Amino acid sequence: MAQNVDPFHAQRPNNSKHSEEGRANTNDSHAVTKRLQKELMSLMMSQERGVSAFPEGDNLFRWIGTIVGPKETVYEMQKYKLCLQFPNSYPYTAPFVKFITSCFHPNIDNNGNICLDILKDKWSALYDVRTILLSIQSLLAEPNIDSPLNALAAELWSKPSEYKKHVLDTYKQ
Amino acid sequence: MDSNIDMNKAWILIKHTFPILDNDINLRYSKIPDAQLFETVNLINRLGLNTTIKSLIISKFEEHVRKYVVPQFWSFFSIKSEASEGFSQFFKAVDLLYNYFSHHLDLMNNVSLLCNNKQIYNSENSTDALKLIIRASLLSQLPSNYNKIIEEFYETALKLEGKDNTQNIACPVCRREQDCLCLTYFHNTNSKLVELKLLEPLCGQVLTSLIYTYIESYINKTCKDNFDNSYIDALEKWLDHFIINWLSKVYGYSNSCELQEQEFKQKLTNLLYETYTKVRINQLFNIIIEYPESSPALEDLSKCLPKTDLRPLLTKKLQKAMETRLLHPGVSTPDILTAYVASIRSMRILDPSGLLLDVVTQPMHEYLRSREDTVRCVVSSLTEEGPNDLAEELVKGDAVHVDETAASDEETENWEAWMPDPVDVDPSKSSNIRRSADIISMLVSVYGSKELFINEYRTLLADRLLSQFSCDTEKEIRYLELLKLRFGDSQLHYCEVMLKDISDSKRINHHIKQDTNYTDNSFSMSAMIVSAQFWPPFKDEKLELHPKVLSQMEAFTRSFETLKGNRTLSWKNHLGVVDLEIELKDRTLKLSVTPIHATILMHFQDQDDWSLERLSRTIHIPPIILRKKIRFWLSHGLLEEVMKDIFCLAEEHDSNIANINPDVVLEDYESESVMASTQDQREEELQTFWSYIIGMLMNLDSLPLERIHQMLKMFAFQGPTIECSIQELTQFLDRKVREQKLVFSGGLYKLPKNDML
Repeated sequence: MAQNVDPFHAQRPNNSKHSEEGRANTNDSHAVTKRLQKELMSLMMSQERGVSAFPEGDNLFRWIGTIVGPKETVYEMQKYKLCLQFPNSYPYTAPFVKFITSCFHPNIDNNGNICLDILKDKWSALYDVRTILLSIQSLLAEPNIDSPLNALAAELWSKPSEYKKHVLDTYKQ
Repeated sequence: MDSNIDMNKAWILIKHTFPILDNDINLRYSKIPDAQLFETVNLINRLGLNTTIKSLIISKFEEHVRKYVVPQFWSFFSIKSEASEGFSQFFKAVDLLYNYFSHHLDLMNNVSLLCNNKQIYNSENSTDALKLIIRASLLSQLPSNYNKIIEEFYETALKLEGKDNTQNIACPVCRREQDCLCLTYFHNTNSKLVELKLLEPLCGQVLTSLIYTYIESYINKTCKDNFDNSYIDALEKWLDHFIINWLSKVYGYSNSCELQEQEFKQKLTNLLYETYTKVRINQLFNIIIEYPESSPALEDLSKCLPKTDLRPLLTKKLQKAMETRLLHPGVSTPDILTAYVASIRSMRILDPSGLLLDVVTQPMHEYLRSREDTVRCVVSSLTEEGPNDLAEELVKGDAVHVDETAASDEETENWEAWMPDPVDVDPSKSSNIRRSADIISMLVSVYGSKELFINEYRTLLADRLLSQFSCDTEKEIRYLELLKLRFGDSQLHYCEVMLKDISDSKRINHHIKQDTNYTDNSFSMSAMIVSAQFWPPFKDEKLELHPKVLSQMEAFTRSFETLKGNRTLSWKNHLGVVDLEIELKDRTLKLSVTPIHATILMHFQDQDDWSLERLSRTIHIPPIILRKKIRFWLSHGLLEEVMKDIFCLAEEHDSNIANINPDVVLEDYESESVMASTQDQREEELQTFWSYIIGMLMNLDSLPLERIHQMLKMFAFQGPTIECSIQELTQFLDRKVREQKLVFSGGLYKLPKNDML
């Protein structure tokens, strides 16, 4: 799993740099703010069950998200908290998303980093917070075993009872 | 020294000269020849007995005074008698005492000869010593109720003084109509008391309290319930002419006592001010209500206030009066507003610094805030026709912007007249604001936001525009301009668009009627075209109009679409006015009714009888409401309920219901607002907030109230009118807690545990 950590670490400083630039350039960030405001509003009004998110504090560029484990999976009845960091170039650049609650999953590492294509190369400006969260939610149910961040999880995926035990153990942490 | 003086002889001589030593009191000392006196005195001096004899005489005398004279004096006071007799009793008592005093003056003079330089009791002369002895004995036996007679005496005297001399009213003391000598007696008594130096110790207290009550009752008598005159000058004059004059007569002031008189006068003037202020303070609420007629009273009060320390009393009393008389559910909001305006204006007279105003209006603010219809009342009275305080204020219109806190420099021009704020002022508020804030700004600031006001105005304006259906917007434009001055252009932009819509509608209607493709063959129609974005939301009601009308409306819409390009109309079927001319077999009716009423009747035109249910289905109106509407036509005698829930047209006029009371007919004509009520709107807004609150609590676990409010402010208050005070939010969250949709613990709100997404 360690070998797969790198790209995320590589991306992280990039993001924070972006947001620092963004603070300096308020004119630019105005459009982003507007977009995020709108997304927040539609998310609040959507009455979507299962995913939710809200700005963490005064900073509109940093949100806390919540997803509920999909039904009829080992993640059922579990709530996972995520952190969403929006770059200044959002929505042209994907937000940086990671799990806060530790999660035992083939595509999520011990630090909460997520391996999901739409957060990387498959990112499109048409995605928004809601779709990101829904994608992550479905990722829980259907992991991509081929490119695991958590090798143990990928290995255990085929053995549901053992896998579930790990999931519960990790969730309790 | 010849030691052979016959002691017995000497003693007889002494006793002869001073019979008091022989217990003979009543001898006239003036009758004793001087030669005899000198001989005796010499004799005593020779014997060296002067001190002894003197003491003996004085103690004998004192004993007599104590045992006989004083009890006799006080016996006048104990007699239970009629009210009017107090006067004569006191007069007699004083007379007795004075007589006794003058009898014994000579004795004292003689005695004083015995002491060479040293005077009796260190007094200046024998007269003083005598007075001292009498006074001391008198006061040592003071009975507990001595005040009563004295009080009666002076009260009667005061009545005599106040009596109108021109009328021959019987003197209350001697019952004589003419030549009453009572006043003379009175003055005699006083001068005797003064001479005996008994006036102040005996009567001073009584006099003072008597004068106090007299002043109080006089002020009450003259000023009570009369606010449209200034009294303070008259009262001062009265005090000077009547009370001071009388007192100086009593005390027999001469020029030398001017200082004392001045002091006394000052005391009484103070009392006068204080009493008057108290009277006014007790009536302050009435005074305020009667403003501006009562402004002289207010001016009086503002003159008196700095001279007394009754400001705290004033605030307390006024607040109390407001609470019990104004700020309760029994008073209508417009009345409270009127009182509010009156109190602002009157407080300005009372206290230009505005501090009082602040304190006094505070409870009013709070109360008004709790009333739901306050804003509506304010706005409607702002724009109402006819004489109205608020409308006047608006027209006066020196716009003071509510939130402008910048200190102005213009004050400096008048720096010499500057007055510091009173000490108990809240220093956080600039005095400029307080001094200049006008009534409308103050009313607006009750709510803390202009938005609420503007919103309410918008709703009212919409109501008026839609209910009038006349396109006369001139007056409305005028008010709008005035409001713009006060609240700024941007706030009232919506309203401006609304007014423009009205005039545009007029034009478009005109255009469409000239359109050759559009024909209004069956009836003429004109539409009020409003821009959905700018008008407040309408109440939603369903109504399926009659096909005839619908086709006409379609034609209108088509015409409009050709005229306006890519725009269309969405009709509000339930709003509007229909002018009907109903031709029956025996009469014709002309009526203006709502679309619903018209639709009902048009259906009866096609078919004579309808069941309630079928009609309800046809025009998409619930039966209960429909029945209510049908009642209108029933009362007009146009429809009849032949069976339960079956109605049919009554062409022929039934003589039984010939006399329709127009009041009954109009009763159903709706006067309620077509706008969605503010409360409904508010409910909707709160629902929005609720989604946000769920969102933030879901993700951020638990938050304190302030944080939730702050978050909402940052992320949820987007629209031009959406806002939520922290108080309102608390109420809302509390409600959610009661509904068990929230958990509140340790100052933090959170979602209940089982509420999974």
